[in-house]
Amino acid sequence: MTDFFKTLLAGACVAMMLFMSAAVHAESGTAEDSQAVAERVEDLKKKVIGLNRDLFILEEDLLFPASTQFAVFLSVDAGEFLKLDAVKLKVNGDIVASHLYTDRQVSALERGGMQRLFIGNLKTGTHEVTAFVEGIGPDNRAYKQAASLAFEKGTDTAALEIRIQDRSSDYQPMVSIVEWE
Amino acid sequence: MTRPVALIARVFHSGLAVRLAAAAAFMLGAPALTADDAPERAGDPVYGWVLYNYYQGDAFDALTLLDVARERGGIVGHGAYPELVEGGLMLSYGMTREASDLFTRLLEETNTAENDETDSKKPRVSLTPDVRSQAWFYLGKVFYLEGEQGPAFESLQRVDADVFEESDSGLYPEWLYLRARLAMKSDAFGDNALVESLRQQLGKSGLWAHYLGYNLAMGEIAAGDVTGAQQSLNTLIADMEDEDPKEDLVAEHRALLDKSRLSLARLYLRDSRFDDALALLGAMPLDGVFSDRALFDYAVAAAGQGRMQRALDALDALSQRTLFLAWREQVPYARGYVLEQMNQPRRALNAFTQAAEHYENRGEELIIARRALTEENLMARLSFLRDSDDIITDAYGRPRVTPADFGLSEVLATEAFQQALGELNELYRMQALLAQREEQLSTFEAMLETRKIQRERRSREARYELERQQADDWVDAQNSFRTDIESALAREDAEFFMTTEQEDLKARLTKVAATLAQLPVDQNTARQRASYERMQAYFDWTVANDYGVNRWEAQKQLRELNREMEQFRNQRAAIEALISGDAEHDELARRLIRKATELQELKAQVQGALQQARGILMSRLDEALEQQSSELRRYLVASRHAQARLADHLFREGQSAEAAND
Repeated sequence: MTDFFKTLLAGACVAMMLFMSAAVHAESGTAEDSQAVAERVEDLKKKVIGLNRDLFILEEDLLFPASTQFAVFLSVDAGEFLKLDAVKLKVNGDIVASHLYTDRQVSALERGGMQRLFIGNLKTGTHEVTAFVEGIGPDNRAYKQAASLAFEKGTDTAALEIRIQDRSSDYQPMVSIVEWE
Repeated sequence: MTRPVALIARVFHSGLAVRLAAAAAFMLGAPALTADDAPERAGDPVYGWVLYNYYQGDAFDALTLLDVARERGGIVGHGAYPELVEGGLMLSYGMTREASDLFTRLLEETNTAENDETDSKKPRVSLTPDVRSQAWFYLGKVFYLEGEQGPAFESLQRVDADVFEESDSGLYPEWLYLRARLAMKSDAFGDNALVESLRQQLGKSGLWAHYLGYNLAMGEIAAGDVTGAQQSLNTLIADMEDEDPKEDLVAEHRALLDKSRLSLARLYLRDSRFDDALALLGAMPLDGVFSDRALFDYAVAAAGQGRMQRALDALDALSQRTLFLAWREQVPYARGYVLEQMNQPRRALNAFTQAAEHYENRGEELIIARRALTEENLMARLSFLRDSDDIITDAYGRPRVTPADFGLSEVLATEAFQQALGELNELYRMQALLAQREEQLSTFEAMLETRKIQRERRSREARYELERQQADDWVDAQNSFRTDIESALAREDAEFFMTTEQEDLKARLTKVAATLAQLPVDQNTARQRASYERMQAYFDWTVANDYGVNRWEAQKQLRELNREMEQFRNQRAAIEALISGDAEHDELARRLIRKATELQELKAQVQGALQQARGILMSRLDEALEQQSSELRRYLVASRHAQARLADHLFREGQSAEAAND
């Protein structure tokens, strides 16, 4: 009785060992293939990133030439007094962008990321930009604040930043728009 | 006996996947915390934008933005930190080779600058010794996971042991473990003395110490030292049972403990020490990762002990489990065998008949499955973890997947299959992205074409306007005016430069002269003639006197005209140049054509790589199914033999009974 089980067990072990050794031999061949594919995939990833970069630049050159390009970024520092919910952006009285934030996006902003909220074209001259920020403020109350900036657009790319900061003096959030040089 | 090692490696590996995600995060977080010159806020909006994408897990977009920034002169005010970020992003995006090169370069750059006292140049990035040790550690770990043992050894060797133990007490045991594993794999990375020393340093508690203990025992089995392995496993089990792990490590601790018990029980079974095996297996929980295997081994041990009913109960319990696992295919046969040993030949015959039918059906299913093996039905048998439309991947960029059909669970759990699946997923993502970009390029083409048409229309209008201006007539008039002035100057022709008033006076004087010429020359006209001559003389004197002023005035006007005409000509030339061609448009169009060609080439390359990856994946699956199939055939044959033997036995028994009755 035990002999048969022993035989079965031994047979299973032998079969397993044979299989495993066969698998090892097979692995060495396919492992090389896998390695080659892995390297090929990594090389392709690099190329695709390169192509994506070129198309990104081409798109900007085509749609937003440097002489008229105008971009607005948004940052949050550090978000203790305002849980950002939504932002609306007006340029010269027209709404050009609005955004509702997911938790993941808010977290990315609070960790130091900056969102490019808008990119467009503006001719040279004076323009007015207004940002409306909504969220949950101190004491868990709905909070709205706006900030405006009149700025002079020259012949170079213009970039503004909507900055949402914590103001420790009165424990309130503060929204401002600053111009990047 | 290599199997347990593989399984343990998998358990170990799944833990590492989580930890490697932290590695990428470290690459971003640590420098910002420790560097002296790291700005608190992004000093460049593009850098902030990169971080925004990275923190959301969009490694591809973030890498593209970094590449865009590099193309436009780099990110300002952050030193080498964008490169550190890039390294972390590459790890996330599964570009481990590139990430390794980058980290190695950055770390060596810091090293060189610090070691070379004569070098007054400040390193671009200044990493504190503890961060540097962490970086070398993670780099070594990435190489280790890639199977590149040489670079893994070199990187791990560069970790400063004292600093690392002090600053990263959580990672320090893992560092010891990895070094020990490398030393076990090759003499080039250390000898037995080193392994023993590392084991001593790890002590007798903690998961890394236990993993090393388990792998050492497996090494003893591989070397044929079964007694030594039994002792090692016994010690390991005793150490683990005495330990009370932290809450987050309980599951991992329990899995390793069960695995150790199972391995030791199998060694006992091999030596026919059924009592010891039964005691060990009986202590294992029924809801653990290895409970099914323990149950089967329990049945084997009970049968070996001669306690057939207990063996049958265990096998019956296993038969109730619905999930398919390839190794469990031996259960139907084992049931028949145990019943036969219990001296119940009719029930045993029935069990063997059922087992044979089961193996036949399963075999047919496998044949059909192998014949119909396509990527689509493979994917249909896998369940991918998704976030919206995207498949969620781990820290290596491999999809988080579970088998919908548990027949695939074993093959799916292999590192090679996971890797092949991950690559296939990456290639599909690339293919989708390229298709999207192709569409975008065609939009750009349409945009450029529209602009060209609008431009041509405007050119036609401008050309018509130019023609209407009769620009050539104006040029001729200017030339003739200039020639007249120049020749008058040469002649010193004062009359030519007369003012309008003087010309008028001259005309009137000429008219008077003509009138006087018709009148008789007498006393009556003498006074008029004298008056005329006086006026003429005064006029001639005035013209001669004003010659300089008038000439200067005419020359001034000529200069102004020349200037105006020059401006006119330039404007006209510019308009004509614009009409004849648009360099900016042509450049954009050329770039567009170049990128479209590049895109098509990349598409073809991705397609080729897809076919290769698909082939590898399918062949791996086919091999696994073939292996299952051959095991089933073995069980089928054994069941049929048993069936025949029992039928024969029962037939003879029947005959003997009849003969006795007769």
